[in-house]
Amino acid sequence: MDHTRSSKLTWLLIAIVGALTVCPVLMLVLGSFSEGLTAFGDFTTDKYVEVYTDPAFFEVMLNTTIFVLGSSTLSTVLAVFLAYLNTRTDIPFKFLFKIISIIPMMIPHLLFSVSWALLLNPSNGLINLGLMEAFSLDNAPFNIYSMWGMILIEGLLDLPIAYLIIAPAMASFDVALEESSRVSGASSWRTLFRITLPVLRPAILAAFILGVVRSLASFAVPSVIGMPGRVQVLATHLYEMIATGFATDYGKAAALGMSVLVASVTLIVVYRALTAESEKYVTIAGRGFRPTVIELGKARMPLFFVVGVLSFVLIVLPVAVLLYTSFVPYSMVPSARAFSMMSLKHWHDVLSDPISLLSLKNSLFLAVVGATLGVILSIFVAYVIVKVKTRASGVLDSLSYLSFSFPGIVIGVGFMWFFVQTPLYATIWALLLGYIATYLPYGIRPMSSAFIQIHSHLEESSLVCGASPLTTMRRIIVPLLVPGIVSGWILMASMFVRELTLSVVLSRPGTEVLAVQILRFSEDGLWGRLSALGIVMIGISTALVVTATLIGNRFRTV
Amino acid sequence: MDIRIRGVSKYYYSEGKTIKALDDVNLTIPANQIFTLLGPSGCGKTTLLRCIVGLEMPDTGEISIGDDVVWSKDKNISVPPEKRGLGMVFQTYAIWPHMTVFDNVAYPLQVRGAAKDRIRESVAKTLRFVQLEGFEGRPATKLSGGQQQRVALARALVAEPRVILFDEPLSNLDAKLREETRKELRAFLGKLQITAVYVTHDRVEALALSDSIAVMRSGKIIEIGTPKKIYFDADHRFVADFIGRANLVKARVRGVEGGYTMVDCGLGVIACQQRDVAVGSEATLCIRPEFIRIVGGEAPAAKNLVNGRIESLVFVGEAYEAEIRVGEEQLLAKIDPDAKLDEGDAVSFTLDPAHCLLVAV
Repeated sequence: MDHTRSSKLTWLLIAIVGALTVCPVLMLVLGSFSEGLTAFGDFTTDKYVEVYTDPAFFEVMLNTTIFVLGSSTLSTVLAVFLAYLNTRTDIPFKFLFKIISIIPMMIPHLLFSVSWALLLNPSNGLINLGLMEAFSLDNAPFNIYSMWGMILIEGLLDLPIAYLIIAPAMASFDVALEESSRVSGASSWRTLFRITLPVLRPAILAAFILGVVRSLASFAVPSVIGMPGRVQVLATHLYEMIATGFATDYGKAAALGMSVLVASVTLIVVYRALTAESEKYVTIAGRGFRPTVIELGKARMPLFFVVGVLSFVLIVLPVAVLLYTSFVPYSMVPSARAFSMMSLKHWHDVLSDPISLLSLKNSLFLAVVGATLGVILSIFVAYVIVKVKTRASGVLDSLSYLSFSFPGIVIGVGFMWFFVQTPLYATIWALLLGYIATYLPYGIRPMSSAFIQIHSHLEESSLVCGASPLTTMRRIIVPLLVPGIVSGWILMASMFVRELTLSVVLSRPGTEVLAVQILRFSEDGLWGRLSALGIVMIGISTALVVTATLIGNRFRTV
Repeated sequence: MDIRIRGVSKYYYSEGKTIKALDDVNLTIPANQIFTLLGPSGCGKTTLLRCIVGLEMPDTGEISIGDDVVWSKDKNISVPPEKRGLGMVFQTYAIWPHMTVFDNVAYPLQVRGAAKDRIRESVAKTLRFVQLEGFEGRPATKLSGGQQQRVALARALVAEPRVILFDEPLSNLDAKLREETRKELRAFLGKLQITAVYVTHDRVEALALSDSIAVMRSGKIIEIGTPKKIYFDADHRFVADFIGRANLVKARVRGVEGGYTMVDCGLGVIACQQRDVAVGSEATLCIRPEFIRIVGGEAPAAKNLVNGRIESLVFVGEAYEAEIRVGEEQLLAKIDPDAKLDEGDAVSFTLDPAHCLLVAV
């Protein structure tokens, strides 16, 4: 592609991505200084004063800090543990680790939280009921509606992403570093703590920080677990300003959101610096060796048991609980009686509920159309970032990374300020734009790594063979990109099917989506219907992954 | 089809500095020859090739292929690579991994919109030519390095291009395969009667393959000539040194005697191939190790007879590599492997004046 054409493309993309990412931030800033949605442009600092002098604010901040640090610590520690077991020991059934790192993508956070509420809520949680029956207790032994409950669930939810960061770093670790420590006289434990973990520090810290960013932006856990227990964090505090009561105040929400946004963006900058650092730490020299495997000996089965329990808790239990709840009339411990009372009533209710059906239709539309548009945009953006290395493409890279740090609910408020000024307000297109803007990095990343793998000679030789740039794109670049396109599409579509945080702000009557409808059921305690709709949602996610994989395979064997 | 390059320069900017990748290159590549651009890495040879093929734009000058100007700064002409009708073999071969051998080779014809029958015929013919008959249906990734290289060659040839360009096509092969492939390539190109431009940093490859060699350094063409001319009769010290192993000895010109240019140097008075150099001026005497002839027994009185002492002797298989000390000078010599010599022995050797080359300092 010649220079003027590619620089035109770069600037066009900067304009599009810039509009998608900078616009909501700008509107958030302006909104936080405005009187209200209908009085945009009447500037005031009242909203900041109100938000940050509210006596409840201190408690919210404290809760948020404990929640965020606690859950990130939990997910990081678990991830290090699992990654070490998988990459460095002879633990059996290693395929389980791959499942642990991929399957949770198909189980939405909202449903995961709900399933734990169904198990451990103090009034009729299944485990609580079971224990009360078994030991004739008067009170429920566990209460998930608490800070520890939030930390536990969020920690488990962020585990896969932490694992995906730490495991590759561990796999590419040069064992000679450890071996020389052993030769120098250190025990394996000492080597682990003095050599292995310090060398992996950038990766571990990066996983921790990503955990912080994600739990800060998390809305599913705070709303399903935290709100019933009155444990308020920033996300739910902000949600209450715009969704409950009679006086919704988007100005206050914007003012509060600013601090979350600033924190997130700062952390993501640190995260990027750390991942760059950890790439420097990659010690493997491409000599094609396998790290020596540590024999676990007697600890092998107990450790495997722990992994087995984790996979059960992460994957089987949530789906099983939801499936079970969707068939029984009310919460009851599984028993002969419970099974005899099973019916399709909740399924029937949901499938004849016009709002549930509408939300299903909307979510499907958003997933298919949104992911397709998102991937098309990602192809061009990734192309410019990877193949056209100019200063302008660097700007594009940073811009596209920016939305990675956006907490959905906060950026939703920013979009709200924007869409209210346009005819897009309360239409499905508002959600579509918001989704693409917020989740663009998830499309760009698989595309970039696909582009990196395509040597420029493959493209150039097509040009020399007489093919035009467009033909080259169609016959050479796109087919080679198919695996990247497929995985980008799956990632985006499955995220759009379950999208909650942006949707709770932007969704209006008529534009309900699945996650929002499930949240409504949860607020109303309609667990049976919720479970039925939740199973539908998981089914769609799974179907998307399966079809996309099949299509991808067919393309690859051409 | 000949290629004419006039005043072509190409600059890169990095960290505030301007790097001249090509510095006012003027070159005519004659038609139907194998023409090699040879030089150390970073000398601009690949940049020049990529400018010819159109993958890079020079900053100044004009390039024409046959009668067509394909690039001209002044006339504002820039023909994109796909319109230049050339063939190219890349260093990485650039075999498209998602296509079969047939599709890879057929691609240039397909994008030109050729008829299906003609494509099948031409592909079959070209694959037969590169001895890959019957490989049509193979996935391109399931081939060995040498086979991939031949697929790349077939793809470059199939559309019968005006010129074929090679960018270090053998550098990814192991040593043995490289030698075989080099011979094959020579045979293929010999049959074709096509203009071929070949880029390499390997001097043996350049000598073995080329009709003409252009030696480059720092974006400039230093010298052009046939392999023999470049090897035996280079004008520049850099070229003489780069094209093969050479002993370089400082010398001062005495004058011309009996068709030889006589010089004073650390080896004594040496008769050299005649050169137009001013008497009294400094020059460099270049002697290749294989032209140092050890004289056994009583040394006869001969031209360019030099006495020295063997400092070290290393057996490398087909020969001994000896370091011979002559006064202040140390010379590398290639000696017959069955010579009865030891380290420390005094030796006499002769230098054939035809292989005593005087080059600029």
